[in-house]
Amino acid sequence: MNKGAGSGPTAAAAAAAAQKQKTLMQRVETDIASIVDNFSQLVNVARVNDPPVRNSQESFMMEMRASRMVQAADSLLKLVSELKQTAIFSGFASLNDHVEQRTNEFNQQAEKTDRMLARIGEEAAASLKELEAHYYSSGHRTTQNSQQ
Amino acid sequence: MNGNLEISVDKLPVKRLDAIEETGAERFPPDVGYDEKRESLIRRIDFAWAVEKDDNKRLKKSSKESSSSATTTPWQWQNMVENLQFAHQELSVIIDLINTVEANDAVTVAGMTRPKALPNEVLSDLSVSAATKLQCYRHLGIYFKQSAKSLEQQIAKEARFYGALIRLQQNWKVKRQRVAAPASGNEGFTIDLFDNSLYDSAPVSRPSSLSTIRIDHDSAGMLAINLPPNSCRSFRFGFLGVQSGDSSKQCSKVKNSCSPRPSKEAKESVNDDECVREKHSLLREVFDIVNREAFKQSLGVNVTGIRENYLQLGIGLGISIFLSLIPSNQGDLSVDSWVNQNVESGILPLDSHDGVKLAEEKDDILRKSGGYPNPLTYEIYLQQVFHEYLYGRAKNKPISTGTRVSGPPTKDGSGLLGHFCLSLAHRIFSNKVHVELENAVCGVPYLHLVSHPTWHSRTSSWTVFLKVPQSILHAESNSRTAETAKSHFRTNVVVNDDCIHVEGEGTPNVVGLFKGRSEDMSSMNKYDCDLADLPVIILQQVASQVIRWLHEEALMVGIKANRDFLSLSFELDQGETVSLVAHVDPEDMRGCISWWLVMEDGFAAERKLSIDISDDASDYKKFLGHLSLDVLYSTLMDLVSLCGGGSH
Repeated sequence: MNKGAGSGPTAAAAAAAAQKQKTLMQRVETDIASIVDNFSQLVNVARVNDPPVRNSQESFMMEMRASRMVQAADSLLKLVSELKQTAIFSGFASLNDHVEQRTNEFNQQAEKTDRMLARIGEEAAASLKELEAHYYSSGHRTTQNSQQ
Repeated sequence: MNGNLEISVDKLPVKRLDAIEETGAERFPPDVGYDEKRESLIRRIDFAWAVEKDDNKRLKKSSKESSSSATTTPWQWQNMVENLQFAHQELSVIIDLINTVEANDAVTVAGMTRPKALPNEVLSDLSVSAATKLQCYRHLGIYFKQSAKSLEQQIAKEARFYGALIRLQQNWKVKRQRVAAPASGNEGFTIDLFDNSLYDSAPVSRPSSLSTIRIDHDSAGMLAINLPPNSCRSFRFGFLGVQSGDSSKQCSKVKNSCSPRPSKEAKESVNDDECVREKHSLLREVFDIVNREAFKQSLGVNVTGIRENYLQLGIGLGISIFLSLIPSNQGDLSVDSWVNQNVESGILPLDSHDGVKLAEEKDDILRKSGGYPNPLTYEIYLQQVFHEYLYGRAKNKPISTGTRVSGPPTKDGSGLLGHFCLSLAHRIFSNKVHVELENAVCGVPYLHLVSHPTWHSRTSSWTVFLKVPQSILHAESNSRTAETAKSHFRTNVVVNDDCIHVEGEGTPNVVGLFKGRSEDMSSMNKYDCDLADLPVIILQQVASQVIRWLHEEALMVGIKANRDFLSLSFELDQGETVSLVAHVDPEDMRGCISWWLVMEDGFAAERKLSIDISDDASDYKKFLGHLSLDVLYSTLMDLVSLCGGGSH
């Protein structure tokens, strides 16, 4: 019982996800079937019939089927958009991976910057030491002192 | 009747035997029915005369008409009129049919046979139908192309949108927000700037509106970020009473990279506003943490003034700093009105003009006295300290529960802000120490100052080197083989926060002085001093090191000499002593260390040795001047020879 209660939210979430997946698959199949069916009907009515009234009827039907095809394509686009949004906001695994990757990159960059700063500091200290030694040994300072 | 009468005779209606069969049966003709009888009677009536009559009449009429038509020409539109009449009749039939159908009456259409069309009519009908259908398909083709174009545009738009959204998602906490009103079309998005890591309590309520930025997704599919005015702020750090000058302007320029305006393209809005928003959020975080730290009892933190988005701290030494978040559009204008004349007495807002002048004067004084460090460097350091703490905690899980995050106490209990204030105070103090050391070293030609970067924000270290000239060393090395002469003496100066610690070699300790043995000299002595006494202490240290060196040199040549703190004495005959005495004066522009030669007879020990500077030439004292080490060494050798020659 505890197992079931503990995994209740997870099971419900999994069931909801499965249901949503099923719904999306149905929508996809419906839309694609609509496109295929309407297109095949369009091709089938290409035959020219004798009575003109039938041709007029078929022209109206062709317009209707073309509109249905476009509507099905638009519906598929919206489905893709919805899937993308779901992937962006619900793809926690990829988000976490990306965050970890960025974190590692930034940590490496921070370490690299620290090393660079340390190296710059060491070079600056060595340069300072050298400059001080040169300055205090130089004739310029000696001349200044003698002028004083 | 013309007289000819025709009579027809019928048979009597008697059954007459028709035939007799062999068997004897009699066959009679069948009986005639009533209808058949009547028909036969009707047939017997001769209507020929009536028919002939009618024919004669018709012939007469036609002869009359032909005679009349022969005289007039036929109307050219007659056929057309007849055709139109026939068409009108057909139309009326059709209209009646339609009316009947509209009235929902039952209509029974008898079978109709269409007249067989001619081949050319069939082909023309077929071609018209084919052309119509072709035109239909062409319309469909155009419709499909337009739809494809619009779908491609929509795909491209969505690709841009989702690309920008993914980039936003990678750098910010973007959340989907279900819009209740259907009129807005699509759902909206928000960027959440709330940092949960600042708070340890797990159930954090909905973040406030201050920490969320709404992204509007209009019907055209574009993202737009609308910021309220004055939401962009610049972080400002400075010394109170000092105009920051170019550094603050530079700060403002760096931070104020774009003005708060709604952007049109999602991609552009990310690129333009991302860095500014990030700085805004981080600066606000830093300022908030600084505020919290300021009101905790910690070492080094002394809050002297507070306003909205403004914090003033005293860091000692009579210096105050301020931290503020100012709107980006105001720039530098807000600094001048906050100049404070007397830091310790509190905030006294002055007229901006006077405040500017006062700041300039004070700035000159401070710059001359060693000055303040560049505020920009400490602004960066402040942010670095807090960011390191803030985001370094992400690596290590927070331990405390139920309390808001604050800076961890350092070893001395100062906290992050206290550490920062102490670092800043130390930097200012160490600059002053450095100036004093430089002045002292500049006054003595044989001194070298070497800086030792400690890479610690509250510790600084220098060494004052006293170098023995090479000429003396070479001369010594010729005479001595085993012993190595000391080529340099050093004095270390270490500043921790505002404590100066001096460590030098060659200074005699007090115990050795009391015992009277020059050998009991401590090689290294350590003591603390304050800034005012530092030059004198250093110079005295150096002078004592010179005395020590001279003393060793004298011992090397076998002459016994007595060493005091700043004097070296040689015994002559008859109890006379000649002493080489050092005098230190940091204010002496010609040289900080000068030398006196003092002659004393046997009774001089009873008199207190006093050097009268004003009296350069006396019977007992002679001012030698500011001597270099070479000259001192030569003087020493002369004294040594005097000691050796005087005995004779």
